[in-house]
Amino acid sequence: MNGIHDMGGMHGLGPIDREENEPVFHHAWERRAFALNMAAGFLGEWNIDMSRYAREQMPPAEYLATSYYEHWLWGLERLLVEKGLLTRAEIEARVAELRRLAPR
Amino acid sequence: MRRLLRAADVGQVLLKGGPARLPDDVVPRFKPGDRVVARNINSTGHTRLPRYARGKRGVVDRDYGVFVFADASAMGRGKQPQHLYSVRFAARELWGPEASARDVVFIDLWDDHLDPA
Repeated sequence: MNGIHDMGGMHGLGPIDREENEPVFHHAWERRAFALNMAAGFLGEWNIDMSRYAREQMPPAEYLATSYYEHWLWGLERLLVEKGLLTRAEIEARVAELRRLAPR
Repeated sequence: MRRLLRAADVGQVLLKGGPARLPDDVVPRFKPGDRVVARNINSTGHTRLPRYARGKRGVVDRDYGVFVFADASAMGRGKQPQHLYSVRFAARELWGPEASARDVVFIDLWDDHLDPA
């Protein structure tokens, strides 16, 4: 699809930020988001190309305003709902619960 | 049938990976050195052919062998085994006469992305 992910040749996005000794994950949640993708992918309900296509469906403005592993999480949620493994309501209920439990 | 990934198996599973190379005997449409033009496709599905290369002329640099065609597999249309190539595009072909005369871009493209040029 002619989506926002296909950025080759676009101007105005600034230089690529190269980090010395870049860690694999910058935050603990990224490690978890990646592991969730691997574990859920292993269920065999979709393949690696479908998971790439899922991430490409993210609305362009949101895609540009979020980080790499946020794309992975968004794509995973989409596939889980699409394949009937979770409902959108179940995901939202869990997010609401975690918000309640989170320290303020 | 749903599979289950157990914590104890994670290392082995990740080491094994999920290769997209296929053993199928498929006749290649191109060989290294062939001049090709990338198709001007604008599919609403997944494609590995970047927009900036569509309609551009390049040269097949190498043939990797037979692979799952990602564009089809992403849309649930099966593996459609076909040859995958590294195709060389001159920077000037992609970005115009102001681009460097020395620079080139190598793009991994499948038979279904290409026509003879």
